[in-house]
Amino acid sequence: MAEAVALAGSPPRRSSNTWNNWGRLLVLPYIVVFLLLVLYPVSYGLWLARDPQSYVKLFADPIFFRTAINTFIFVVVAVNLKLLIALGLSGFFSQTRWWIKIVAMLFILPWAVPSIPTILSTRFMLNPEWGVINTLIFKLTLKDGPNWLNDPTLALSLSMLMHIWKSLPFWTLILLAGRMSIPSEQYEAASVDGATRWQKFRFITWPSMKGLYLTSTLLSMIFTLGDFNSVYLLTGGGPADLTHVLATLGIRYLRLDQIELAMASIVVALPFMLPLVYFMMKRLSK
Amino acid sequence: MASVSFSNIEKKFGKVKIIHGISFDISDGEFVVLVGPSGCGKSTLLRMLAGLEEITGGEISIDGKVINDLDSKDRDIAMVFQSYALYPHMTVRDNMGFSLKLRKASAEITNKRVGDAASILNLDPLLDRYPRELSGGQRQRVAMGRAIVRDPKVFLFDEPLSNLDAKLRVAMRAEIKALHQRLKTTTVYVTHDQIEAMTMADRIVVMHDGIIEQIGTPLELFDRPGNLFVAQFIGSPSMNVLKGTLRQVEGRAWVESQNHQWPVGTLVRARDGQTVAYGVRPTDMRLSSTGQGIAAKVIVVEPTGAETELLVEVDQTPMVVVMHGRTDAQPDDLVYLEVSAEKSHVFDETSGLRLD
Amino acid sequence: MKKGWSLRKVSIEAQLLLVGIPVVLWTMIPVYHLFLFAISPRDKATSGKLWPENPTLQNFEFVFGQKHFYLNHFWQQLGNSLMIAVATGLITLFVATTAAFAISRLKVRGGRTVMNMALVTYFIPAAFLAVPMYKTMANYGLLNNRWSLILAMVTIASPYCIWVLKQASDKLPWELDEAARIDGASPLQLFWLVYVPLMVPSLVAVGTYALLLAWNEYLYGFLLLSKETDLPLAVALGNFLAADDSPWELLMATGFIYALPPAAIYYAFKRYMVSGLTAGAVKS
Repeated sequence: MAEAVALAGSPPRRSSNTWNNWGRLLVLPYIVVFLLLVLYPVSYGLWLARDPQSYVKLFADPIFFRTAINTFIFVVVAVNLKLLIALGLSGFFSQTRWWIKIVAMLFILPWAVPSIPTILSTRFMLNPEWGVINTLIFKLTLKDGPNWLNDPTLALSLSMLMHIWKSLPFWTLILLAGRMSIPSEQYEAASVDGATRWQKFRFITWPSMKGLYLTSTLLSMIFTLGDFNSVYLLTGGGPADLTHVLATLGIRYLRLDQIELAMASIVVALPFMLPLVYFMMKRLSK
Repeated sequence: MASVSFSNIEKKFGKVKIIHGISFDISDGEFVVLVGPSGCGKSTLLRMLAGLEEITGGEISIDGKVINDLDSKDRDIAMVFQSYALYPHMTVRDNMGFSLKLRKASAEITNKRVGDAASILNLDPLLDRYPRELSGGQRQRVAMGRAIVRDPKVFLFDEPLSNLDAKLRVAMRAEIKALHQRLKTTTVYVTHDQIEAMTMADRIVVMHDGIIEQIGTPLELFDRPGNLFVAQFIGSPSMNVLKGTLRQVEGRAWVESQNHQWPVGTLVRARDGQTVAYGVRPTDMRLSSTGQGIAAKVIVVEPTGAETELLVEVDQTPMVVVMHGRTDAQPDDLVYLEVSAEKSHVFDETSGLRLD
Repeated sequence: MKKGWSLRKVSIEAQLLLVGIPVVLWTMIPVYHLFLFAISPRDKATSGKLWPENPTLQNFEFVFGQKHFYLNHFWQQLGNSLMIAVATGLITLFVATTAAFAISRLKVRGGRTVMNMALVTYFIPAAFLAVPMYKTMANYGLLNNRWSLILAMVTIASPYCIWVLKQASDKLPWELDEAARIDGASPLQLFWLVYVPLMVPSLVAVGTYALLLAWNEYLYGFLLLSKETDLPLAVALGNFLAADDSPWELLMATGFIYALPPAAIYYAFKRYMVSGLTAGAVKS
């Protein structure tokens, strides 16, 4: 019935002119931003990608094929690994110990600090001649460590690790918040019923967090597609352009003044991205 | 102070009409209570008066001037909300003075008005506190103070006491009533609690499903409810209602129900043999000391100190009797009920309208 | 609960430590390495020791004194980073707060559409948007103008900010708006005197988020700006990679300086950030 309102009062339903006009005026700044800086670039980009020839050239480029595979591996492996670890760590951080609080404070660092210094720092650690890691390996085993960034498989894996390092805190925090919103009485009742830790997870924690986990996975895939820094700053796309992902490939074409190819490489990702975006919109749009 | 007039008010939400042509007038200085069950439209009506809901049909006037198209702030009204709606980030003083600040009134005027309102409501020691530091009753008083500072033509109250505990509610009822006697501002008060309506109103408007069931003074509604709905809504415990048949034979009239004859007072506008609804209030029945009356079996005895509430059964139909003082009656006892004809009510069984 | 150490309790603590210690190591290694390099003299940085023999602040001296080819414009670039970050934070705050107020409190018509527009933008991977954005800025004539970076950052930061602010706004009771309207507030007065003061924690979280997003950004700065005096510090750092004999220790020292403000801000505003930002993510 119209009288039963959940929140105190109810949202305004008037067509008073002043209030409507102010509403339109106040939402205008964002609309301007959107039109000039989202709609225009996106439309323009799609227009630049209209030439079928670009796609022919793109598919003929061996780098592209490799890049597609790299991107697929990167997104699927890195995201799922990351979310899985985040799920586990969210359990860890939900324990109340004084020292865990300190660990949590440190744990935020990768997310808080900018990527350039930390990725470059890692890059130097991996330097085959004077990097800390190989120096330590030599000290311990008297053998030379691998040339980390010169082996395409290792290099790609390290980029993924770098990406995970940077974004893990954010997702752990999200999943932790999800965990904290589960009322503790459910766990207490389960304890009284004699549930083991695993059973508590399976029957209380997981059902509550399933939705959030799925949403986070989808969202993280979108973000990971856009992670330029983790690859570019660590490997530069090398060796020999073998560790490019779509994010860096587009920029590579751009720097070579081949903008149509750049846009084409992005458009090619759309069939995979659009379903993701669609699902996310459905879940979050209210 | 001003008169308020509702003329053929209708309200639709989309296609659903929830208020169907309501009209009534409120005179200057009157304290009118809109009462009714949840969903009857009373809050919506109040909010239309306040300018918080659009008026889909009809006109509302204050002091003769139609206000349909005026914005809330131009209607010269003040409202006290159910959840107080105090600004959490302002002190009591600033909360009360907010409307003056918006009008850019001078500090002098603001301080005087806030000070006056605060002393009327005993808020002086709380002026520099924040809402979160106050109790429910104190917050309600601040909300009233805010309304008083406005010095409006009409006060609007939207179920202001619903969030308070029972004891506080009783105290606040008296305070609001005293305030009205002092300020004499026209007041429109919405509640679902008929006790609040009975104790505070000059006149009560009983609403149900978007229409007015009856308008009258509290005693009018109590003594002569115009229909079954009002009869059962006003008065607590509610009126006992029995289905029966009206008998009118040779100038005598009574209602046959539950194998008994129930006395009927004045002329009843109905035929002999017509099915009617017979009503008698719990307080209008007495336990006979002479063994004469309508036989009833006692089911439950509930002494409340000054009174005793008895649940009895007359021919398997439960009825409630409220009597002064104590009784020796025990569950399963047989007692006899005395009902006086003047205190009975007869209603049409289908339309619910009063027949006597 | 019994106090004291049962076998079960010890095993639980051990398991937690078994997780906690690797987590700390994993988290701190690149950061510590950065710090290590920054305080090591040139040749000793790579010696593999856990703490330098002769820790020195000399590298920082070099950086602050702009005493190297790559560091010629350090202070200018640091200033650029600061200016771009603050401008982004403020403009994003303005755009997002007005939009959230209009959509959530004024219930402007088409509000849902605007929210969806914002949401879709949020789902465009930043690196993908960068390519057409570069051309767009070129078309607008804004290349090599720091405002191109600011506007790009505002575009990227706004959607999440609007979303978070809208969620937070929806939690404010409607009766407050109604009471204010009856008290005589105009829309602007409602916004400034009632809405904004009540939204301060969320505004801080959101403004800080936008500010840090811009401070930490590399790719867009890299694409949109090329004059050395225009560059934010992030991009200037990237330029160190160009040559093989770059002064790595100076780079790390600069990087360390560059990394300090965000870390400090996160720790100062920790409570706001966590509650403000996750409130949007976890839908109850």
